[in-house]
Amino acid sequence: MHELMNTSREALHLLVSLDPALWEIIGVSFRVSLTAILVALPPSLLIALLLARVAFPGRWFAISLVNTFMAVPTVVVGLVLFMLLSRSGPLGELRLLFTQRAMILGQILLAMPVLTAMLHSTLQSIDQRAWETARQLGAGWWQSLWVLIREARFGVIAAVLAAFGRIIAEVGSAVMIGGNIEHFTRTITTAIALETLKGEFAQGLALGLVLLLLALVLNVLLGVMRGRGHQTVSV
Amino acid sequence: MLEVSQLAHGFDRQPALWEISHLQWQGRSLVHLRGDNGSGKTTLLRLLAGLEAPRQGSIRWTLTGAMPAASPPCPGRVLYLHQQPYLFDTSVAGNLRYVARWHGWRGNMARDRVAAMLERCGLAAHATQRARSLSGGERMRLALARAWLLSPRVLLLDEPTASLDRQAIADVSTLISSLHETGCAIVLSAHQPSVLTERCDEYWCLEQRCLKVSAFKQAVAV
Repeated sequence: MHELMNTSREALHLLVSLDPALWEIIGVSFRVSLTAILVALPPSLLIALLLARVAFPGRWFAISLVNTFMAVPTVVVGLVLFMLLSRSGPLGELRLLFTQRAMILGQILLAMPVLTAMLHSTLQSIDQRAWETARQLGAGWWQSLWVLIREARFGVIAAVLAAFGRIIAEVGSAVMIGGNIEHFTRTITTAIALETLKGEFAQGLALGLVLLLLALVLNVLLGVMRGRGHQTVSV
Repeated sequence: MLEVSQLAHGFDRQPALWEISHLQWQGRSLVHLRGDNGSGKTTLLRLLAGLEAPRQGSIRWTLTGAMPAASPPCPGRVLYLHQQPYLFDTSVAGNLRYVARWHGWRGNMARDRVAAMLERCGLAAHATQRARSLSGGERMRLALARAWLLSPRVLLLDEPTASLDRQAIADVSTLISSLHETGCAIVLSAHQPSVLTERCDEYWCLEQRCLKVSAFKQAVAV
C-alpha cells in the first residue's frame, strides 16, 4: 500500500512537472490517433451514407460485415498488417513497418468499422424528408449531403469520439507494427506495457491516469452529444 | 400546364389506389384536392412533384418539359410541402438562408430577401429562434416562407391546416391566399372543409378509385 502511494505521488509529479519524456509519448499518441481519425472519417462517412440511403443487393450482409469488423481484436489487425508490411510481405517495399505511418494505418483499420457503424445508424435515423426538402428547395446533390451531415452533426461527433477512444487506447496493433521505439513510435499504451515489465510503475501509472482522464472526458462529451442528438432527431 | 394520362399507382403488389385516365390543368387556380383518409391524396401530390415514380402512366408539366421519374425536376417551380414540413435544425432565418445560399444569393441581396420574407410571413420576431421550437402554425408559415422565396409556379400542399387551431388556420390560409395572388397555382389536400378550402376555385375529388374534377363543386368524372 505504501509503495502504491509513493508510486502514485511520483506519477502525479511526472504529470504536473511536465516531464518531457512523458509528454513526448502523449504527443505521439495524440498525433497518430488524430491523424488516423481524420483520414478514416471521409471514407467511413461515404460508406455509411451508401449503407443508410442506397438500396442494393447484399446491403444487409455489408452492414453485418461492418458490425463484425467492430469486434476484430487489435492484435489481429496488427498481425495482418505486420505480414503485409514486413520486408518479405507484399507491401514490404514501402518500408512502413515500425513507423508512425504504419501505426496510423492500423488505427485507420480499427477506427473505420466503429465510425461506419455509428455513422450508418445516425444517418439512417435522419428523417427522409430532410433530403427531399433540400432537393425540392434547390440544393444540389452535394449540398443536400452536407445538409444531412449537418442535421446529424451530434451523431457524427459522437462517432468520432467513440472511434478516437477505441484507437488511442489500443495496444495490440501499435506494439506489433509500431515496435515501441523510443522518441518515435512509443505511445501511451505501449509505454505502459514496457514500463510495467521494467518495474517502473510511476511513468506507467502517470500515462494510465492520462488515459483514464481522456476516457472520462470522451464519455462526458459522448453523453452530451447523445443527448443533443436525441433532441435533434425527435422533430 | 399539367397533363396527366393513364396514371395509376399503388404500393407493392396491391391493386392501384386509383386510376386517372386523363387530366389537364392550366396551372393557375387554387385547387382543393379532397378525399377520405387513405384515398391516396398524398401519393398523388408526391407523384405530381416527381418525388415518386408512377406505376404506370405519365405526368407532364409543360412549364418544365418532361418530368423525369422520382426526382424533383425543377426546384422552385413545382414544390411539394409535407403535411408536417421538415425544418432544418437551425434558426428560423437560417432556414431561409439555406435556400438563399443554394440559389447563389449573397451578401445584402440574400439578407434583404430573407428579412423581407420573414416580415411578410409574420416571422420577423422569431428570426433568431430555433425553428423546431415554433408552434405548428408558425412551422407551416416558415415552410411557406421558404417556398415563397423561390417564387414557385405551382405549390402542392399536403394537408396544410391539419391539426392547427383556428387562429393558426386563419393565418396560414391568409398566407396561402397571398401566395396564390402572386400567380402561384396551388393544389392543397384536405379531407375536411375549412376557411381555406372555401376560397378554392376548383375541386378535385378522389372517389371510388378515380379523380373527379369540378369547378364550383360540380362533380365531373375524368
